[in-house]
Amino acid sequence: MTISSRPLRFITCGSVDDGKSTLIGRLLYDSKALMIDQLDSLARHTNSARGARSFTGELDLSLITDGLEAEREQGITIDVAYRYFTTPKRKFIIADAPGHEQYTRNMVTGASKSDVAVILIDVTKVDFTQNEIILLPQTKRHAAIAGLLGIRHLIVAVNKMDAIAFDETKFNRVVDAFTQIAASLALPPFAAIPISALRGDGVVAHSENTSWFNGASLLASLEAIELHDSGTGQEQPHSLVAVQYVTRDAADDHRRWITGDVADAAIAVGDAIRVFPSGAQAVVAELSTPRGSVATAKIGEAVAIALDRQVDVARGDWIVGSKLETAIAASQQASAVIAWLDTTPLVVGRRLLARHGTRWLPARVSRVERRLNLQTAQWNLPSAGSESATVSCNEIVEATIEFASNIPLADYSASQTRGAIVLVDPGTHATAAAGMIRVEK
Amino acid sequence: MTARDAFLTSEFRASDTHLNWLEDEAISILREVFGAFERPAILCSCGKDSLVVLHLAMKAAAPGKLPVPIVHIDTGHNFPEVISFREALVARHGLQLIVGHLDDSIRRGTIRLAHPLESRNRHQTVTLLETIEANRFDAVVGGARRDEEKARAKERVFSHRDSFGQWQPRAQRPELWNLYNTQLAPNENFRVFPISNWTELDVWNYIARENIELPSIYYTHRREVIERSGLLVPVTDITPPREGETVVTRDVRFRTVGDISCTCPVASTAANAHDVVIETIAATNSERGATRMDDRANDSAMERRKKEGYF
Repeated sequence: MTISSRPLRFITCGSVDDGKSTLIGRLLYDSKALMIDQLDSLARHTNSARGARSFTGELDLSLITDGLEAEREQGITIDVAYRYFTTPKRKFIIADAPGHEQYTRNMVTGASKSDVAVILIDVTKVDFTQNEIILLPQTKRHAAIAGLLGIRHLIVAVNKMDAIAFDETKFNRVVDAFTQIAASLALPPFAAIPISALRGDGVVAHSENTSWFNGASLLASLEAIELHDSGTGQEQPHSLVAVQYVTRDAADDHRRWITGDVADAAIAVGDAIRVFPSGAQAVVAELSTPRGSVATAKIGEAVAIALDRQVDVARGDWIVGSKLETAIAASQQASAVIAWLDTTPLVVGRRLLARHGTRWLPARVSRVERRLNLQTAQWNLPSAGSESATVSCNEIVEATIEFASNIPLADYSASQTRGAIVLVDPGTHATAAAGMIRVEK
Repeated sequence: MTARDAFLTSEFRASDTHLNWLEDEAISILREVFGAFERPAILCSCGKDSLVVLHLAMKAAAPGKLPVPIVHIDTGHNFPEVISFREALVARHGLQLIVGHLDDSIRRGTIRLAHPLESRNRHQTVTLLETIEANRFDAVVGGARRDEEKARAKERVFSHRDSFGQWQPRAQRPELWNLYNTQLAPNENFRVFPISNWTELDVWNYIARENIELPSIYYTHRREVIERSGLLVPVTDITPPREGETVVTRDVRFRTVGDISCTCPVASTAANAHDVVIETIAATNSERGATRMDDRANDSAMERRKKEGYF
């Protein structure tokens, strides 16, 4: 058995005390990703910094993920951290986003690069005395953000099952409640798994304590996820490359190579292409990936392209398959879901810098259409006269954005490459917002 | 079964899919650097991680020439094998090499040593910042990995540094998709880490697959060492035996290559990259824990150095 698939990237979504750090610690510990010296350090810190949260005679696994000095002193995590572990089947990259202040900012950042979201529900915080179970607002928030960022694989890990005696009925009631949230947010299908991160039940292996549960453990579920790095299949596939860098052939000064990542669909020698925005036409003469010369370069590969004739191409341009020409609706204005990440609030109408593909251009948010209520995961229309209202850090809104020139936008769900933008403050250069373009179909 | 056979049948052998994904990601990051910056450079200590980055950078530029210089911060406390390796490398690939000498900083008075044989590792930061300033580099590529150390787990791929080169962990720019925020003000720069998502095992698997040449001290050799508090300390002019210590000869290799005064080898008979892969899978100590005196001093040693401008 070899590691046959590409690394799987996942984000863990949980709030303070949900057991998120313990879960990650458990995955690293049980998959033996930790070395002796790291365990030594863990043993030194267990029962010191956070005595109240450690367990006599056991390592406090949550401390594994505490990175910075300031974090250990304060018992909090400040920023997204990335963790790695490998099983015989797969390499995993965890985006560990802290669950407290600035949560939206951290989760949006981690989720933008994740294939899977693991949503942690602390079962001890659920009130089972009511007829209808109401999950905490944070669970709705996690689900909503995962949905907006287009994460296609969701796993709901119902944690602290040991504290409710591994009660099957209660587990099923939590799953039913999440099913309703998922339906209201139009989320993709999800898997639900009963676990105890603290005791290890259901994390790496199936647990005897949940013998009633037929599904796989969390780790086995993650190992089994199949990734399809293609578009959604709703549109006609067409090749697309945002030009990163153009170089001259060391052996032939007249030959230029255009480099970038293959997005949306494969590109092949012989393909007719156009350059956006110039409209220049050419045919792909030669393709090279890091593995050598190829006839077809697949999605995600870092490609170098030689064309059959001299055309003017520079960083910021797009190489598009000719079929795409009709599909591209280049536009100066679009509707977008915007997650505001800067501590300085958005000023409607203010000139910002937008990054789309490899191109930077001026842009402005011209109108805020509606706001996501992060408590209820419902969109609220603004009350009359509130159009000029600002948007604060960690808020998510739907807004109209205007760009200084035409760019080949697409709906984020159809093409992440053409549908994602980043807004930057032109004064401070702070990363101000993540934007997901919405195009009416 | 030989070690080599064990590697070839090992269930932990990384597949091409896995390494290709990491390779594509790293090359894409390097092309961002080539395309988005005016004066980039690649930091190259001739350690295995920086040599992997250099290999990737040459692939990212191919079939064009590497469009950026390589920079070596020379502590003056080098293993001679590493310097001769560097000279051969530069000649073979026609690279442009810029060397920042710690001794120059000492001469200028910008570095003052507490005593002549003090570890020069932490002083590298001063020479690095001076070299960046003198050459007006706006992006400096390094081979740091997030799995190395906990302060590095929170590092960005494009890590923004102010005009003092400082890393501000609480004020990092969120990094979304592969839409890197490469905007800079004058005198600021980026540190860029294309192999952020690689582990030590990934690096060795890649070195084996690509036949990347490394300085000979990465593989087994006989060396005089002292056993000191769990580490094998190499016997050199800079790290002589202390009173009462016994010098022994061992088969060793280095897992990292840094300043002589703080880099220790591990006992090993691994003669090539395949052998190292097998040892890495079996290893019970982390790379820095086993070999770096500087990181052992304190759990937060790396975090503090990075805030000062270290890589």
